[in-house]
Amino acid sequence: MKYHIFCEPTFSAVEVSLAPGERVVGESGAMAWMTGNIKTQTSSRGGLMAGMKRKLLSGESFFQNIYSAESGPGAVTFAPGSAGDIAVHELTNGELLLEKGAYLASSEGVTCDAKWDGLRGFFNEGMFVLRVTGTGTLFFHAYGDIYPVDVEGEYVVDNGYVVAWEPSLTYKLTRGRKIRSFLFADQLLLRFSGRGRIWLQSRSPRVLASWVYPFRPVESKS
Amino acid sequence: MDIEILGEGAFESALIRLQPGERFVSESGAMYRASANVEIDVTTRSGGSGGLLGGVKRLLARENFFFSSYSTSDGRPGEVGLAPTHQGEVFVIDVDPTTKWICAGGSYLGSSASLKIETRFQGLKGFVSGESLSFVEVSGEGQLLVNAFGRIVESEVQDGLIIDTGHLVAFESTLQYAITKAGSSWLQSWLAGEGFVMHFTGRGRVLTQSHNPKEFGSSLGRLLPSRKS
Repeated sequence: MKYHIFCEPTFSAVEVSLAPGERVVGESGAMAWMTGNIKTQTSSRGGLMAGMKRKLLSGESFFQNIYSAESGPGAVTFAPGSAGDIAVHELTNGELLLEKGAYLASSEGVTCDAKWDGLRGFFNEGMFVLRVTGTGTLFFHAYGDIYPVDVEGEYVVDNGYVVAWEPSLTYKLTRGRKIRSFLFADQLLLRFSGRGRIWLQSRSPRVLASWVYPFRPVESKS
Repeated sequence: MDIEILGEGAFESALIRLQPGERFVSESGAMYRASANVEIDVTTRSGGSGGLLGGVKRLLARENFFFSSYSTSDGRPGEVGLAPTHQGEVFVIDVDPTTKWICAGGSYLGSSASLKIETRFQGLKGFVSGESLSFVEVSGEGQLLVNAFGRIVESEVQDGLIIDTGHLVAFESTLQYAITKAGSSWLQSWLAGEGFVMHFTGRGRVLTQSHNPKEFGSSLGRLLPSRKS
């Protein structure tokens, strides 16, 4: 599968070129434009349960779309919902964990499922994360630039800035060590340990949302 | 200490590499990544702006009440990443003892612990401008990080410069300014949608940002459901 990421890093989109008969899977709503010979098939990939889990537990869609090129080569362009970067990751019988909403598209051999993440996940973006497994190419996206960090030992990330991490890493949720920071700075940190790679985003949509909050109109009393 | 600006353009952030014994300060909560040996402390104090009063003054300046302070705990080098709220650039200013820098509220991202940070009330000037009530004044020797909404443009003021209050990032204290109206009359300024501007005179450097966060906030805010209070 050939692909080309363009307008990166701020307004990244990815164009996937398909040979005749080749297929690519995209998150519902991620397709921006495609050639006329692409056939779209909507499926709950992995069956009803997998679809339900994706939808209910991890905030992704129940359905994913499969795009195939018929009678000749074709191309599909996927674009994420927010400004920011797209990262590419090759999986060979591998696994990667993604933050909710980070999945964009992948080759057919890659499946996307929800994974219970325990209570620590609750403090993060939600109780479930996305688990991507299989063999092929995976595209994921984030608001902001994406930086890979290779962890050997330990590394600390604010919980709103993690995009993806390798399953070889474990993490726990911490706050600053001092009691003062517990009281006054409500910053939750994820402390990753082990050996593997994490991908970070350089902006937080949640921080932006809470900044915009005071600008909302005030409801009149009447 | 070594500061690297990550990214270019819309989503810049700063990565500060600390040697043992070095300390860096930021507005609280700006840290988004750090090596595991970095100790994060919360303080109301940085240089001159210590204590409760300093904290309250900063609160009025619409800055955070607290600073976060970073240093390595195990005698080895470490790193801390700081990310702004908005899309835009991060800029490093080398502050030397001869010149103070003054940051508009919200522009301050972080600074070396050697720098003294104080909140300066603008008095009536600040009230009138309707922007930040006060500024953050940075003095001493060290590095200062400012962030902006959009691109940062640096200008050298010689024959006066007029800046819309929402587009100011920081300026050298060798400059004087007056809050004034943009048009020839108040009515005209109001009609032009340019309420208040700052008229800078003297000589010195000034940093401006390409976009006004407040304009963005109000254009987005009115699309959201209203709040109760």
